[in-house]
Amino acid sequence: MSTKDKLTEIIGAGNISTEESALEEYYKDMSFVNAIKPGCIVKPRSTADIETIVRWANETLTPLVPVSSGPPHFRGDTVPGIGGSVIVDLSGMKKIIKVDRVNRVAMFEPGITFKELIPAVAREGLRLNLPLLPRALKSVTGSLLEREPVVMPKYHWDLGDPLACVEVIFGTGDMFRTGAAAGPGTLEEQWAAGGAQKEAAGPSAFSLYRVIQGAQGTMGIVTWSSVRCELIPRLEEPFLIDSTKLDKILEMVHWLIRLRLVNECFILNNADMAAIMAKKWPGDYRELKDNLPPWVLFFNIAGYEYLAEERVSGQIADMRETAQRVGLEPVKAIGEITASALLKIVQQPSEEPYWKLRNKGACHDIFFLTIYDNLPGILDAMYEEANATGYPTSEMGIYLQPIVQGSNCHCEFNLFYNPEDRDESARVRELSERAVASLMAKGAFFSRPYGTSTGAIMNRDAATVAALKKVKSILDPNCIMNPGKLCF
Amino acid sequence: MVLKRELYQALEDVVGPENISEAPVILGSYAQRGRPRFEAVTLPKTTEEVQAIVRLCNRFGVQFKASSSGWGAYGDAGGPGVVKLDLRRMNRILEINEKNMYVVVEPYVIYAQLQAELMKRGLNCNITGAGSNCSALPLAAHQGIGHLSVSGSYGERNQLALEWVTPEGEIVRAGSLGSIGQWWCGDGPGPSLRGIIRGNVMPLGGLGVYTKAAQKIYHWPGPATFPIEGVSPHYRPNQIPPGFMIHYISFPSPEKLSKAAQKVGEAEIGFILMGFNPGMISANIATNNNEDLAYIKQFTDSVQGPGFLIIMAGNSPRDTEYKEKALQQIIDEYGGEPLEAVEEPKNAGGFMWRFIRVTSSIREVARASGIFAGEVGGTDVFPLMHQYIMRSAPVKQRYIDEGKLLADGTDPFVQSVEHGHAGHAELLIRFNKQDPGSLKVAGEIAQFANKTAIEGHFGVPGHAWGDAAHDQYGPHTLNYHKWLRKIKKTFDPNAASESTNYITADN
Amino acid sequence: MALEDYRTDMEMCCRCSICKFVPLEKLTEKRHSYVCPSIARYNFHTYSGGGRTSMGLALLDEELEYDEKLLEVVYNCQMCGACDMSCKYAMDIEVLEPINEIRIKCVEGGHTVPALDGIISSLRNQATMVPGAKAKRGDWAAGLDVKDITKQQAGVIYHAGCRVCYDQDLRQVATNTIELLKKAGIDVGIAGENEICCGGRAYQMGYKEDFLNQAKKYMEIIRKSGAKTLVTGCADCYHAFKVPYDKFGLKGDLEVMHATEYLARLIEEGKLKPTKKVDIKVTYHDPCHLGRLGEPYIHWEGNPVPGHIRIFDPPKEFRRGTYGVYEPPRDVLKSIPGLKLVEMDRVKEYAWCCGAGGGVRESNPDFAKWTAGERISEAESTGADAIVTACSGCEQNFKETIDECGSSLKVYDVVELLARAI
Repeated sequence: MSTKDKLTEIIGAGNISTEESALEEYYKDMSFVNAIKPGCIVKPRSTADIETIVRWANETLTPLVPVSSGPPHFRGDTVPGIGGSVIVDLSGMKKIIKVDRVNRVAMFEPGITFKELIPAVAREGLRLNLPLLPRALKSVTGSLLEREPVVMPKYHWDLGDPLACVEVIFGTGDMFRTGAAAGPGTLEEQWAAGGAQKEAAGPSAFSLYRVIQGAQGTMGIVTWSSVRCELIPRLEEPFLIDSTKLDKILEMVHWLIRLRLVNECFILNNADMAAIMAKKWPGDYRELKDNLPPWVLFFNIAGYEYLAEERVSGQIADMRETAQRVGLEPVKAIGEITASALLKIVQQPSEEPYWKLRNKGACHDIFFLTIYDNLPGILDAMYEEANATGYPTSEMGIYLQPIVQGSNCHCEFNLFYNPEDRDESARVRELSERAVASLMAKGAFFSRPYGTSTGAIMNRDAATVAALKKVKSILDPNCIMNPGKLCF
Repeated sequence: MVLKRELYQALEDVVGPENISEAPVILGSYAQRGRPRFEAVTLPKTTEEVQAIVRLCNRFGVQFKASSSGWGAYGDAGGPGVVKLDLRRMNRILEINEKNMYVVVEPYVIYAQLQAELMKRGLNCNITGAGSNCSALPLAAHQGIGHLSVSGSYGERNQLALEWVTPEGEIVRAGSLGSIGQWWCGDGPGPSLRGIIRGNVMPLGGLGVYTKAAQKIYHWPGPATFPIEGVSPHYRPNQIPPGFMIHYISFPSPEKLSKAAQKVGEAEIGFILMGFNPGMISANIATNNNEDLAYIKQFTDSVQGPGFLIIMAGNSPRDTEYKEKALQQIIDEYGGEPLEAVEEPKNAGGFMWRFIRVTSSIREVARASGIFAGEVGGTDVFPLMHQYIMRSAPVKQRYIDEGKLLADGTDPFVQSVEHGHAGHAELLIRFNKQDPGSLKVAGEIAQFANKTAIEGHFGVPGHAWGDAAHDQYGPHTLNYHKWLRKIKKTFDPNAASESTNYITADN
Repeated sequence: MALEDYRTDMEMCCRCSICKFVPLEKLTEKRHSYVCPSIARYNFHTYSGGGRTSMGLALLDEELEYDEKLLEVVYNCQMCGACDMSCKYAMDIEVLEPINEIRIKCVEGGHTVPALDGIISSLRNQATMVPGAKAKRGDWAAGLDVKDITKQQAGVIYHAGCRVCYDQDLRQVATNTIELLKKAGIDVGIAGENEICCGGRAYQMGYKEDFLNQAKKYMEIIRKSGAKTLVTGCADCYHAFKVPYDKFGLKGDLEVMHATEYLARLIEEGKLKPTKKVDIKVTYHDPCHLGRLGEPYIHWEGNPVPGHIRIFDPPKEFRRGTYGVYEPPRDVLKSIPGLKLVEMDRVKEYAWCCGAGGGVRESNPDFAKWTAGERISEAESTGADAIVTACSGCEQNFKETIDECGSSLKVYDVVELLARAI
């Protein structure tokens, strides 16, 4: 029986495709990884479908590549690593299973996007700790599994946040639920008892969600996830601070987060800020970029149920004292850009077209984690590499996102380029590959390695690779899950 | 069993003759009464020495178990043929990074030392609830949840990079440490090995040795040194620092307490929030058992129902004022009443400091009779953990009525984690261990706790460790125990890391 | 009491390790946070208070042989009581008492170490626990115009102590004390060459019978003298008279005061007026036997109340170091014009031991010096010019260690500095 026939038997003819045009959507993406065509695409409807598919894949040693977001994809993790792979497209699994106001958690299937989940949780007075302007078809589960940085560092206690629990089909074909979701009891029994599938750690002496996160689908396929939610504030007061001096901005950011004064809080350079805020292209963008200072800090002060006004006014006063001490001035607008407009924008996914593509049609991101202390050296290194490869540094977007309550900082260089221009593409590719070593030397930790630099990053830490391979041998002994990614 | 001379000599070559012993007088003190003794005790100083010891144990087919401050019974040998690694000589604070809010320690830094050093710099750390006499390594404690967890989380969540000597003797440096030699991230590249080395509880010696670790630290708005006066045991601060407030609020019902705690969490005003019961409050202030009994009565008579201790710390006068007002609104809304004895000026500062420094856990658990037991809930949503522990309260009361347990009240203890996003609860029992009926009660309560957790669907509690417990819970919990066994088997093929309190690969 | 009587105390040790540290409420930095020299030096848990109590249980149950290692553990302890004090912050159990009883049990069983046997031999033969001849005991007072209490009655008897009698470097403390007391008009006398060792350190070392013999003899001397008050400048001796003499019903109504307590009283009453400037920056070292162990003995007899909490009938009050002699020496120092007092990190009830006690200086001088070295380094960290104390044993050990390690720190007794100011 052919692969297609067998899979048709499992999930029905309407949920499988081997059409060239469909396959072509998955064989490459906007990264620089090699294009490899999958064998077919399946769109499971349920956990049971996925369990069956994975078991079959074990029997036949067929590689599976899980995908939950719609296009465009950027990282290369959803492009098959080897030929004959089956794309397991979960974007059609669109159930929002539960939203729990009391316990501040929501549970949903992998096809749910931010655009769909935000209003659903808002109906309960809840909000998500969002990544910065996710694209329209970005799966929330996908984002959580990728450990994407989020814009409210105060509510980011752990690098794994805000992911709570997942239901996963491991590469063995076994179903498991992580954290509190494991049980005892079925989900319904847990709900009847008051359980909320929110505690991520466990059960007992391990926390398997952590090895599923960051795995790029190499350990299993997640069939639902739950996410920690926060409350929608009653009152919000956003601010902007601009400066030519990044060190002052970082000092300010350190204290804003340390004293828990702010919700949303991030830093953009002029290129990124212009890319996000420009309404008309290319005129608005150029003008905004040229008139913006090199660095803009955005933050938002909020109040909730109790004494919201008093809280906000007190925190604003405390914030102003800090700003004065650091030598910065918080404002409500910089030129045409208002803090309130930016706040509105970042509390939603990106409008179409995706903000990173508006400038030139493509964007390659170099991102990693670091700490404030390392940033000056990192920026110098990146500028040097950019100059060496001929990429104009003035065109480079830079996004600095404090995370884990300020103990880490996500640093992202957005390399906008015209994908039709071969030279430009080649320059960006060269820069993205050669910069890695220089950046690591200055304290960049590529915690989420993607694409063509993955080998160089993983190979720096042989002991971790050896340990990860042991984990892989437990959860996916036949290596059917997304082979060729990371160190697998 | 006596260690082969070749092994003993090799261990001696690693640590030096003064840092290893198999003398009976030494071995005896490392075993709780009636429990198996270690074959030798080693005192390594460096990670490389730890690695060498672990490799030797693998080579010679003996087991090893490491511990730091060594309070927990899980630091003991499970049987013969185990070498102890007492990590006492690994006692350095390696880095305090104020700008990036993390600290790196070796296993024998205790929390009191770490907090003292941090406070000098305007910083603070969560201290494990067992006390600041315990290791500051976030991987040392059984769970690591502590008094500050409402605003300062706990070990599982505060963990950043770590250095791990695996059961086979490999050194794995997780996260940024392995890739670039810096300590501030424990995850990646790719999947996070933090997922293997612990859950909401630790492997308790069964998965190798953690030799260094980084953890998140928090802002401290108080003085560099808490101004304590007096002579032991009558310590008290000469003032409560500005911006600090302490209250014990009791509520008319457990439901109101739970809701109030939830609101305190949502308002983000708690610095410390602990649902202590009168027995724990009395143990904190009492300097001897007689006083303890008197205070238990006084406090029990003074409260209207279950309550929580809350300490708030304002970062500014405005912040202080807001927090105090918000708390008052919540108290009014849920019918809370203050326990004045806690807020009396002569008592308040002492309470506050003991809760911040976590120095009275020993009084709570050990002073009465030297032994304690009970059940330790997991970490899960606050209402669920509260409900779980409440189930055991009538059982405890029955045993109190039968004279088998100390009558210290049955209000369970519950606490808030991360501003109410999670909760944790425990039931403490104290009894005379010479009384066989009482020892039996400890076992019965444990069994009841397990039955309740399984049949009531309350999650896997923190007191579930060891093969028997995992085999009991596993079949109801998606056979997690089988995955845990696979991890054990894969990472410890020679079963060298003594894992009586973790899981063995055997079953 | 015997070791068996402390079984419950030992069984209640839960292995929390606070016996190894200063009281955690008082810990202000990582440096200087250990309080037990024994485990700080030797690291195995056995050397701590908790380790020793588990050893005591094992000895009671005959699970251990009295081998060389056991004796090494037993006698490498200064009996400073820090573990006892730290433990009793949280617990209602005795720690130092069973540790002492272990030693008594060892001695009764003939399990001793030669160095300590030698000291006891000197005690039996020459009535001194410091090398020296009985006949020379009174030499320190040569030329001093002071009553001989074996010939005349006196209101106050000054006990010099073995160290002062036989170490020329320490004699000034005694002569200064006599001069100050006389200046204040105190009717003081000494036993001179008829003074004998108080026997206190024999008790610490486990030689209970020898201690009791000494104590009985000495109390007879005191009784005959008619003195109502005994003053001594040695903390070990102070402790002996105040605590074990009382414990064994030998002290009677004798008022026991340390020289610093007595002098502080005289200053308060205006009978001594420090007027001369002494320009020096000092730090004060609390001797273990004056400080945490110097509080009065509490006579108690009773029974445990059956139940799930350890209480007694009548209620038992534990000695926790709360009422040791901490302020009088400081008051004396503060009364000296020009003197600046700075405190070390480990003070009062949680002071780090000088290293000399419990027979350690005699049986393991390296350990004694190591311990002193830690204290000297702590004193230096205050910026003080000198370490001042109120015990001849501490002074002796500090001086010897400073000589060896080349520190520039000076060592004084409180009395010496007061004498300069008057």
